[in-house]
Amino acid sequence: MPVLLKMSVSLTFLRRPFARFFMPFTLQRKRRDLHSIILQRSMSYKTPAVSYPNKENTSSPDELQLDAWKTTMKSSVQGVSTVSSSTDEDPVAATKELIEVWRLLGKEVPEHISEEDLRVIMENTSKTSKKKYLKYLYTKEKLRKAKQVKKEMKAAAREEAKKDQLLETPEEGTQRNFLFLRLWDRSMSSAVGWKGAQAMQFGQPLVFDMAYDSHMKPKELQNSVSQLLESEGCNRRDVDPFHLYFCNLKTDSNSHTELVKRYKEKWDKLLLTTTDKSYVDLFPKGNIIYLTADSPNVMTTFKHDKIYIIGSFVDKNMQPGTSLANAKRLKLATECLPLDKYLQWETGTKNLTLDQMMRILLCLKNTGSWEEALKFVPRRKHTGYLDISQHSEAFSKHLKNSKTNNVFSKALSVRTKKLA
Amino acid sequence: MAFCLSGFRSFPKLWKNNLSLGSGPANSLFCAGHCAFRSQQRWLCLTTVSPQNTNATNLLIAKTRYGRKKDEGNNKQAASDSHLFAAGAAKKRSQMNPSNKDPIPPSQRNSMQLPTKPLTSEEWEKLKEDYKGRANFETWISAQLTHQRSSVNVAKSLLAWAAAKNNGIVSYDLLVKYLYLCIFHEQTSEIIDVYEIMKARYKILEQGGYTLLIRGLILADRWREALLLLEDVKKVMVPSKKNYDDCIRGAFLHQDVNTAWKLYQELLGYNLIPMLETLKAFFDFGKDIKDDQYANKLQDILLYLRNNQCYPGESFAHSIKTWFESIPGEQWKGQFTTIQKSGQCLSCGKMLESIYLTPEEYEFLKENIMRNVIDGGDQYKKTTPKELTRFQNFVKNCAPFDIVIDGLNVAKMFPRARESQFLLDVVTHLANQNLRLLVLGRKHMLTPGSRWKKDEMEKVQRQASCFFADNISKDDPFLLYATLHSGNHCKFITKDLMRDHKACLPDAKTQRLFFKWQQGHQLAIISRFPGSKITFQHVLRYDTVVQTTGDSWHIPYDEDQVERYSYEVPNKWLCLHRKT
Repeated sequence: MPVLLKMSVSLTFLRRPFARFFMPFTLQRKRRDLHSIILQRSMSYKTPAVSYPNKENTSSPDELQLDAWKTTMKSSVQGVSTVSSSTDEDPVAATKELIEVWRLLGKEVPEHISEEDLRVIMENTSKTSKKKYLKYLYTKEKLRKAKQVKKEMKAAAREEAKKDQLLETPEEGTQRNFLFLRLWDRSMSSAVGWKGAQAMQFGQPLVFDMAYDSHMKPKELQNSVSQLLESEGCNRRDVDPFHLYFCNLKTDSNSHTELVKRYKEKWDKLLLTTTDKSYVDLFPKGNIIYLTADSPNVMTTFKHDKIYIIGSFVDKNMQPGTSLANAKRLKLATECLPLDKYLQWETGTKNLTLDQMMRILLCLKNTGSWEEALKFVPRRKHTGYLDISQHSEAFSKHLKNSKTNNVFSKALSVRTKKLA
Repeated sequence: MAFCLSGFRSFPKLWKNNLSLGSGPANSLFCAGHCAFRSQQRWLCLTTVSPQNTNATNLLIAKTRYGRKKDEGNNKQAASDSHLFAAGAAKKRSQMNPSNKDPIPPSQRNSMQLPTKPLTSEEWEKLKEDYKGRANFETWISAQLTHQRSSVNVAKSLLAWAAAKNNGIVSYDLLVKYLYLCIFHEQTSEIIDVYEIMKARYKILEQGGYTLLIRGLILADRWREALLLLEDVKKVMVPSKKNYDDCIRGAFLHQDVNTAWKLYQELLGYNLIPMLETLKAFFDFGKDIKDDQYANKLQDILLYLRNNQCYPGESFAHSIKTWFESIPGEQWKGQFTTIQKSGQCLSCGKMLESIYLTPEEYEFLKENIMRNVIDGGDQYKKTTPKELTRFQNFVKNCAPFDIVIDGLNVAKMFPRARESQFLLDVVTHLANQNLRLLVLGRKHMLTPGSRWKKDEMEKVQRQASCFFADNISKDDPFLLYATLHSGNHCKFITKDLMRDHKACLPDAKTQRLFFKWQQGHQLAIISRFPGSKITFQHVLRYDTVVQTTGDSWHIPYDEDQVERYSYEVPNKWLCLHRKT
């Protein structure tokens, strides 16, 4: 029995005390019931000598050794299956278990799932949408866990620091002279508030057009509201903020509820104008410029007497021309950022996020330099700046040269062609 | 070489039809189609591959089978700057794409030899110590075993070892992979064992597990339990068409015809498109059944193919042929053939169905184009209401046209030629044939510049009616509208495949209608040089669809060696007719 011996040896180091007694049982198929009992009681010592040199096994020991796991798999489970079979016809429970099996397979599904999320999954009709939502939950869960771990580590470090300080303080204990009490955050926010109030009175208007609720799915709407929050924050901190308008914002529309949910009680104290009226009712039509990437007109300079409009619209669904159609309907001037003129565009859409637009406009307002302002275009979308000024200078120089110096004219004209 | 290349570039943009053979010198090079059946190799043309080249081609097949998806972009790029079917092109392509090389076998990458015979526990332990990957060893090695299709016993020994280590419990993913191997090697008893284990251990499985179990169980005597598993799948999700395919095959394997039909109906009820293999199975089984009802149902399948514009594959076509020929007392005769340009079947001489739409279909399509493509819920997106009425009045006033020209598309055909010059050439060429022309364009074409000469545009306007839309309007919807409005005889010229406009249509049926109309009415210029004589792509006269006249069937099919794009139609036919 060389094989059997080997096997028992290999098992000894796993769970040494039982291995010798345990092995023969699993080898014997007929005694399945007995095994299960024995296994469930985590292997009693009582029946060691039942079948050590088993006659049935001698014919094909190799085969039997391979099949051993099956008996244990089947037998060890019997208890488990009876317990869980009570919730048999419930689709929710079935989905829950399905997710569990997916997790066993190493698929990207969350470990814990709330009832509400489960309901969303049940509502999603297609397989793909279910998987997508599960993956979303999975990444969310992962991020939350990572954050939790970080938080705990930080807390531990703080404890440590506190202990150290406690040891040091009794030795120091000296009084020191300060000019200010430590109130930085609060004084900052009040200063920002003053500036905001000033902007409400004298600032240049900047309009967010909130008329796209019906074009967006819930996820896109949430994203757009996040971006609005971000841009509002940017504007608040700026030296010379815009006077923000949220136009076409109907009360009880989806974006309104979402904004109130995110801002909470701060919503009524925000230093910006929200209205359900359209921008055409608030401002003279001639002064309005609708910013949209689909526009055929390129923005050359930032004009301080115009009212720029940004559509609060996250479009993941590829509906090109929606905002341009809106502007066309109201016969407004449209402009797009001169991205192609200044940047070597690589990938991605030319639609920028709301906060990026905000930062670019703020920068243009304060400095007027495109190079400076377009720094807020994500770096992954372009490979670098085009050197326009130098190009055109070089170009005109070449022209001059070709006029004055005939010898070079041919070569130079070839070069300029290449440049063009 | 360059000559062929330019031909190739423009060619795939238009649907193929075999009968245009010889209308241009480059066509003959592509006669067997530049495309290969999807599940087969990508770039392969049987007729043009010379014998000494087959080696290279086989190599290419082998290579493209691996990582085809990833390298698709690369392949295309490579193909565009070298003639596809030239000797050595395959090799060149493979050199150009270093990523296209055979993937390094994972065992080599990890410098670990996969076991070929069952190992003992110590040996597995040793193997595990050697393993230096990031993933779990058991998961990794079982994936490798599955990938290499190792023998069942090796996998079994792995499971035995894993179980012994883990209190006799094997994890789910190992079980699934083991099941896959059992099915691959058709080890029925093992499949049953795993099935028992899974049934005992897990109340519910995921789709992959179910699919494998179904596939495994249909081989065994307990195949009816596969149907129960299918019911389990339905509880949480819609079963895949492959699940149904497996079940239907199982039913046929065990001679249960009624169950097979029932499952087929269920499959259609879920709005799934059945696999062609499933349909083929019905025909294959039908050979031995002499039953009118069954025969009727098979004809229903053919009508399903017709209504959904599906084309059978080559082997399926053979099955259909043998089935028809096996019908006793009807004396069907089947032949593989092609169709003449005029729409006459080369084998039986019958005319095929015309490509033209019926008046009702035509009205329906016109209505739909207007509502969904041009209007689309927001007239401002593609045009403005003012412009639309201006255009509608314009079309109403000018009598029906014979040809509508997409001015910008035609003018920009050759980057070297001046736009207005080439447009004028085309317009003059057509005007000489006494055709009423409409040229659609944008307003910027009228502003004189280096590309648009004023006098040439004036000449165009003298020879044809012109309509210039706003620069930010889309001109294609106008083109469609004008053509549809002019009537059935009117054709339009553009190289655009109009796929974006097709996508605007609400359902598959309307899209198919649009495609049919487009095939019959779109002219495309196939001149290769600005100066050369202007010739047009031949327009199909007959509809490529499964069709019958009662005592004859004409069934287009896809050849195995040819990959067909979705905007192309097959050019091989199966002609079946009854001897009288």
